[in-house]
Amino acid sequence: MEKNLMERGSEMLTRETIRQFILSELISDDSRVDLTDTVQLIDSGVIDSFGIMSLLGFLEENFSIQISGDDLVPENFASISTISDFVSQKSC
Amino acid sequence: MVLELTDEQKIWRETLVAFSRQELDYDMTAYEKGDLFPWEAWRKCAEMQILAQPFPEEYGGGGVDFMTTMISLNALGYACKDAGLVHAIATQILCGLQILHFGSERLKQRYLPLLCRGEKVFAQAITEPGSGSDALSMRTSATKKRDTYILSGSKTFITNGPIADVVIVFAVSDPEKKSLGGISCLVVEDGMKGFEKCRPLKKMGLSTLQNGELFFDNCVVAFEQLLGKEGQGAIIFNESMEWERSLLPAAHLGTMERILEISVTYAKERHAFKKPIGSYQSVANKLSSMKMNLELGKGILYRCAALKDNRKRAALDASICKLFISESLKQACLDAVQIHGGYGYMSEYEIERDLRDSIAATIYSGTSELQHNIIARFLGV
Ligand SMILES: Cc1cc2nc3c(=O)[nH]c(=O)nc-3n(C[C@H](O)[C@H](O)[C@H](O)COP(=O)(O)OP(=O)(O)OC[C@H]3O[C@@H](n4cnc5c(N)ncnc54)[C@H](O)[C@@H]3O)c2cc1C
Repeated sequence: MEKNLMERGSEMLTRETIRQFILSELISDDSRVDLTDTVQLIDSGVIDSFGIMSLLGFLEENFSIQISGDDLVPENFASISTISDFVSQKSC
Repeated sequence: MVLELTDEQKIWRETLVAFSRQELDYDMTAYEKGDLFPWEAWRKCAEMQILAQPFPEEYGGGGVDFMTTMISLNALGYACKDAGLVHAIATQILCGLQILHFGSERLKQRYLPLLCRGEKVFAQAITEPGSGSDALSMRTSATKKRDTYILSGSKTFITNGPIADVVIVFAVSDPEKKSLGGISCLVVEDGMKGFEKCRPLKKMGLSTLQNGELFFDNCVVAFEQLLGKEGQGAIIFNESMEWERSLLPAAHLGTMERILEISVTYAKERHAFKKPIGSYQSVANKLSSMKMNLELGKGILYRCAALKDNRKRAALDASICKLFISESLKQACLDAVQIHGGYGYMSEYEIERDLRDSIAATIYSGTSELQHNIIARFLGV
């Protein structure tokens, strides 16, 4: 189904919030400015086993969601795009 | 978030303290000599439902919250001198939590009732001879072959390992992937072909704790023994550490309380230069530091339990909790030996045993250095 303007706006905002968190908290040298929505965060090492802990905490806190059990699979956190989709789905 | 115990929890703690004093007050020296596991005490704890506490009643559990489970470990740490037994119990509960939160319905039904009743002993195997702190650089492999995994490699320092009936084994299932996504958990049973347990390793303390090496030589594990999803191992490890770094410190804090009480009594009774030694500031300062750390420890411990009971993340808090309480316990034990002078150094007074036991607390479940690293990462450095 086509997304309305509000939905697209909120999705963009979610992605931006996640991007800012990754840039400021998970990439120490700030070198990665080309952090597009589809960059593979786990494969490229941006999110490692430590990083996932703070990312999960941030997502739960910031988006008032709970992440547990089956949700805790690496695929959900593979890129900004998948994280954002996951957050939207959990927020419904 | 309420960081106080309820009246019910207070009564439960008192009950367990009385239980420990009555039923777990065995002569440690006999067990220490032979590094024997206190099976009778284990069974008594199972009868008291201590192993079953946080699990739903449908799996034979006690159905209580994490705070109450933590209080039980705290009571045992306080009133039971056998820290090896307490550690074995904590490990059993931690294995159960992994199965409860990530296991399939089949795994839960198969294992949780046995775990709760203490009929089967559980262990979790992460550390390897070549990887401890850097646990996720493990080499044990779980190679997929049709509807099975072929497990090969070795694990070391595994609590309950030598007596384990069931082991949760972390292994590399996809070497192409980073650790996040490349590690999986398999539930392995004693008796499976290719799985071998070794004799317990000799240790500095925690003498009754059975800890040792496990070997997997092309051990065939059915696909249905996978805990969680394939590739979920690193995340299960992280999640498990949140419980572990609250549950183990709960016991340590109990021990610290006992150490403080013993030391205060001794400082009042023992005289030197015609005055109780407690009246000397350098002795009193050690006691006040112990008290301060005990109260601060309680704060962070209750916070961790409350976070987990509220289904919140507690990775940072649990690392702080583990680091602060284990280091405080080690310092408290050192100070207690010092306050007791020559008697403290003698086995008869039993404080030297607590000191030896306490050192392990700063190593297992992630060393103190590793906890500092985790906390620093949360600060973004
Ligand atoms: C009593 C006991 C019970 C245990 N039970 C279990 C169990 O049930 N299951 C299991 O899988 N494992 C278990 N372990 C193993 C335990 O988790 C490891 O011993 C621990 O993680 C440390 O690993 P290591 O011994 O290989 O030390 P190493 O990782 O080799 O570390 C050696 C030293 O280097 C320091 N160091 C390493 N890396 C860094 C770094 N990046 N920054 C700063 N310092 C660093 C460490 O802090 C330590 O001081 C147990 C250990 C003990 C002692």
